[in-house]
Amino acid sequence: MPLRPPSRDFIHPARGFRSPEAAVFVASLDDLTTRMASDLRGLGPRQLEWQPAPGRNSIGMLLAHCAIVEVAWMGPATGATAMDFERVVGIGRDDDGMPAAPDARHPRALRGWRLAEYLALLERSRAFVRQIAKRWTARELEQPLRREWRTQNRIQHYHRRWILYHLLEHLAGHYGQMLLLKELMRVKAPARGKAGRRGATRARRKVRR
Amino acid sequence: MSPVVETRIVTPDGFSSREAARFLWQLDEQRARLLQATRGLVPADLAWQQAPGMNTIGMLLAHLAFSETNLAQVGLLGEPAGHPQDVIGITEAEHGMPLPPGGRPPEALAGRPLEWFDAMLANARAVTHRAARALTDADLDVVVQRPPRPDGTVRRFDRAWVLYHLVEHEAGHRAQIQLLRHLRGA
Repeated sequence: MPLRPPSRDFIHPARGFRSPEAAVFVASLDDLTTRMASDLRGLGPRQLEWQPAPGRNSIGMLLAHCAIVEVAWMGPATGATAMDFERVVGIGRDDDGMPAAPDARHPRALRGWRLAEYLALLERSRAFVRQIAKRWTARELEQPLRREWRTQNRIQHYHRRWILYHLLEHLAGHYGQMLLLKELMRVKAPARGKAGRRGATRARRKVRR
Repeated sequence: MSPVVETRIVTPDGFSSREAARFLWQLDEQRARLLQATRGLVPADLAWQQAPGMNTIGMLLAHLAFSETNLAQVGLLGEPAGHPQDVIGITEAEHGMPLPPGGRPPEALAGRPLEWFDAMLANARAVTHRAARALTDADLDVVVQRPPRPDGTVRRFDRAWVLYHLVEHEAGHRAQIQLLRHLRGA
C-alpha cells in the first residue's frame, strides 16, 4: 500500500503573544477546534439538534455552550463584571439552553442553525480570547485572582493560566461528548436513505397482505 | 464562611522541564476528575452498552490506560514499539477499541470491578510520570516519526504534542464517561 502523506502533530505557538505559554494554550484551542470542525463536517441542522432524550444536550447546544464559556471566562480574567455576549459572540448567555430543564428541547434561539453558524460563534469567541490573552505577560498568568460563586456558595482562587487550561479541557471534554452523540445518533436514528425507503415500502406491502 | 476552592496550576517539583511539569499537573487534575466521575460504579455500570457498537465506560477506561502507556513508551521514552500489555495487563485486542459496527464489549473486561480499572490507570500514569520527569525543555521539541501504520499513515509529532494530546484525550473521554453515566442514570 502506498504511503500516505505524514500526519504532522505539532502545536505551534500562536503569533503576537507576550507570553509563549499563553500562545501555546491558544494554539492548542485552535488545534482542537479545527479537528472538531472536521469531525462534525456533514452534519445538518436536524443532526445538530438531535437529543438522546428531552432534557439532554445536543451537539449544537454544546457548540454554543463552548463559545459562551470562552467569553464568560474573559470576564474574571479581565476584571469585567458583565460581558456583552450578544455583542461579542452574537447570542445571549443563556441561548445555549444549558443547563437543560428535564424536558427541554433544543433551544429556540439555535433552531435551524447550520454547522457553519455554530462554528462562527466559536470563531468570534476565540478572537475575543486571543485579543485579550495576547496581552498577558508571564507574571499576569500567575497573578492570584479570586471569584465568589454566590449560587454555589463557594470562593474560588485561581489564576489566568488556570483559565486557559480550563478553556482547553472544557472544549476537549465537550468535543468528546459531541463525538459520542454523533455515534449514538448513527445507531439510534440512522439516516433514511434509499435503503430506508425500500425497507419502509416492503413493510407497508407486508401489512397490506 | 463559604468553602474555598483552589484552582491554580501548580508546577510540581522533580521535573527537568517546567513545561512538562505543568502538563503533568494538568493530566493529574484530569485524572482526579475522572476518578471522581467513576466512584461507585459497579461492574454492570462499567459494562453497560448504550447500543451495540457503542463504547462502554469500562472500555473507555481501558482505552485511556492502554493509549497513555503506549504513547508514553513510544512518544516520551522513545521505545521502538509500544508494549502496554506489560504495564496494564491487557492487549490491544482485549481493550476492544475500535468496536466494529454492532460490536459487543470485549470479554476481557467483562465483570471487572472498578478497582481493576483504577489499577490499570495508575500503572499507566506511573510510566508517564517517570518519562516526563526526565524530559528537558529541549527534549520537548524532539520530533518522533513512527513507522508506517497498516493503512499507510505515517505519524510525526514532537514530545510537547504528546503531552498536550494526553491531556485533551483524557479530557474528551472523561466527559464521555460522565455523559454515559448520566444517560444510564447511574
